[in-house]
Amino acid sequence: MTVGAPLAPGAPAPQGEPAVATVRPPARRGGRLLWAGLAMPGTAWLLAFLAVPFYGIMAVAFGYRDPLFGSTVPEWNPVYWDPTTFVEAVRSTFAGDLRAVFVRTLVFVVLSLLICIVIGYPIAYYLARHAGRRRGLLLGLILAPWWINYLTRMLAWLSLLQDDGYVNDVLRAVHLPGVQWLSGRPYTVILALVYGYIPFFIVPLYATLDRIDGRLLDASRDLGVGGVRTFLHVTLPLSRPGLITACVVTALPMFGDYYTNSLVSGSPTTTMVGNQIELYLLGGSRQDLGASLVLILSAMLMVLMIYYLISSQRADREARA
Amino acid sequence: MTFHPRENRGPHASRRQFLALGALAAAAGSGALAGCSRRRPAAQAAADQVVLSRPDKPVTLPLHADVPAIKDGLAPEKGGTLKIFNYPEYLSPDVIKAFGEANGVTVEVTTFTTQDEAIAKLRTAGTAFDVYFPTTDIVGKLVAGKLLQPINHSYLPNLTNAWPELQDPFYDKGAQYTVPYTAFTTGVLYRADRVGTIPSNGWDLIWDPAYKGQSYVLDDAREGLSMAMLRAGKTDLNTEDPAVIKAAGAELTKLVDAVNIKIAIGGYQVVAEGAATVHHAWSGDAVSAQSYLPEGVSAEVLGYWFPADRKGPVGTDTIAIPRAAAKPVLAHMFLNHMIDNDVALENFSFTGYQPALSVVTPEKMVADEYVTENLVSSIITPAHYRDGFQELQLSATGDRLWVDEWAKFKAGR
Repeated sequence: MTVGAPLAPGAPAPQGEPAVATVRPPARRGGRLLWAGLAMPGTAWLLAFLAVPFYGIMAVAFGYRDPLFGSTVPEWNPVYWDPTTFVEAVRSTFAGDLRAVFVRTLVFVVLSLLICIVIGYPIAYYLARHAGRRRGLLLGLILAPWWINYLTRMLAWLSLLQDDGYVNDVLRAVHLPGVQWLSGRPYTVILALVYGYIPFFIVPLYATLDRIDGRLLDASRDLGVGGVRTFLHVTLPLSRPGLITACVVTALPMFGDYYTNSLVSGSPTTTMVGNQIELYLLGGSRQDLGASLVLILSAMLMVLMIYYLISSQRADREARA
Repeated sequence: MTFHPRENRGPHASRRQFLALGALAAAAGSGALAGCSRRRPAAQAAADQVVLSRPDKPVTLPLHADVPAIKDGLAPEKGGTLKIFNYPEYLSPDVIKAFGEANGVTVEVTTFTTQDEAIAKLRTAGTAFDVYFPTTDIVGKLVAGKLLQPINHSYLPNLTNAWPELQDPFYDKGAQYTVPYTAFTTGVLYRADRVGTIPSNGWDLIWDPAYKGQSYVLDDAREGLSMAMLRAGKTDLNTEDPAVIKAAGAELTKLVDAVNIKIAIGGYQVVAEGAATVHHAWSGDAVSAQSYLPEGVSAEVLGYWFPADRKGPVGTDTIAIPRAAAKPVLAHMFLNHMIDNDVALENFSFTGYQPALSVVTPEKMVADEYVTENLVSSIITPAHYRDGFQELQLSATGDRLWVDEWAKFKAGR
């Protein structure tokens, strides 16, 4: 499968752009070797830990059953690939039992992202524009909980959220009814996802907001535009690439997350795709189905990534123009 | 395959994050090995070349000429490392240490999380374990695949400590390849301080709307569906009848609306801490729950229900020696060590899963304070083993039915 025609290294530059080419100093042979050398570790890493494992997943998804032990055996030779299970998984995803799971996963992730934006954007904005000399400290404080192991933090939440835990104590103290947080509630899962991933949202957004040229904002105000409209017409559009990066960086792991869900819910009403993948991969005789789900999920995320790449390229072009 | 009480157990739940990848890697690993010689195969031998053993259909496992047992009277290997392959936390560190010190050997435990993963590793050339803990349902496959070596009983005088029926078990007549390890039942672990009366059909506890939001079913396809079958009076827990399996799945699905059911495996913890009121659980969970109670809470808040007529799920585990063991004599001595009465009881106090030895009686376990009086029902006797139902190996097609029905329940609507 070819993703796109590879660009030949020595290909002549497209016509109409020769001026750019002549401005650059001619690449020296040594320099090219240096860059190729620097790219080597990354390329090797990608091949060893992305391409090969991904091919392994395909080999499991299209594999066959071990006649004695009943487990799925990966088929490395594509000539012998058996698409039956994969087709079954696709059918189930779009018209069967798994559709509800995929839709639920999408809803959970979208809602979590919205909450991330509502909470994370003002924080990133404050850090970038108003925190002054304390920003390093504040950024450190925001990231501080993530020095602690994920499991430890979630287990701590489990005891806080118990029916007779401190969270409900606080609610009752202000005369609100207690909530059975841990009895399989979708909102608990969504809040847990937000809690788990929001730093990955804030940091890239902060980096973008921080780089916005303050003079543009001054100019906007000098032209008599109010604070709100300056935000809407200057800051927000300029922060769009960062916002999209933040959303992608946060959404990708959320789509695959199963552990947060198992910890805070465990109810069939909150099952996400990751949970079903886990079930099939551990379940012995259905690893081919689990691997097929991994492929389907990856394909969906790929669409998201492609949108991200296109839009960030467009933003780049606009910025240069 | 069946899941197992030890699979996914534990406060050390963090490792589950890596399980999915591990399982995939295991599948890929086993294939890398097989891939060299196998071709996608209409020509492959039929899947069910291994006879499925049942209590009423005992199986004598085949002996292979090229996989002999060790000779009598050999001296134990000296020095080096004895390699053990087991579930995590399924063996007391003290017991291991004592064996190592007595025999001048370093004992090293490597863990697996599912038997599938274990098999994949055992089939990989170059990994030689000396002692391995298989479940009864896969022993037949392991022998057919020549992964185990026969055991020589002259090194195992303690085998007479085992329950008589396990000295000659149905899954391995004559105990040619395995010695018994632990025994367990599956029932309902509950909070005695919140549950007033136990219904005559105790499985109803899980479906009782009074415990909405605090009711849990074991995260295990075979156990979950079996519970629904038993509640409805169906006792063939190895059925491959799609209608029966489907009906069980439908009963489980009712739990979602009725009690907002949760699916988990940490009953010993959530019941002890109070988040759960009724929890489908293994007997070992009931024993372990005693050590998870918050400070100042008496063990009397706990209760474990198992059918009074003993018609509920029971199971046992085994210990065996892989074919490629580097220290087979020491391995035999380790097996013998584990079925020594005192050693086995010390091990019980660590794992919570009782040995399948005659020395264990409900009265003695209460008197010696392994369990409190109100948890005496968590101790299993040969009578339980005789009258109970075992979840055993299914055909590949049958296994698929169970897994798919369970997945459907877990997916929710």
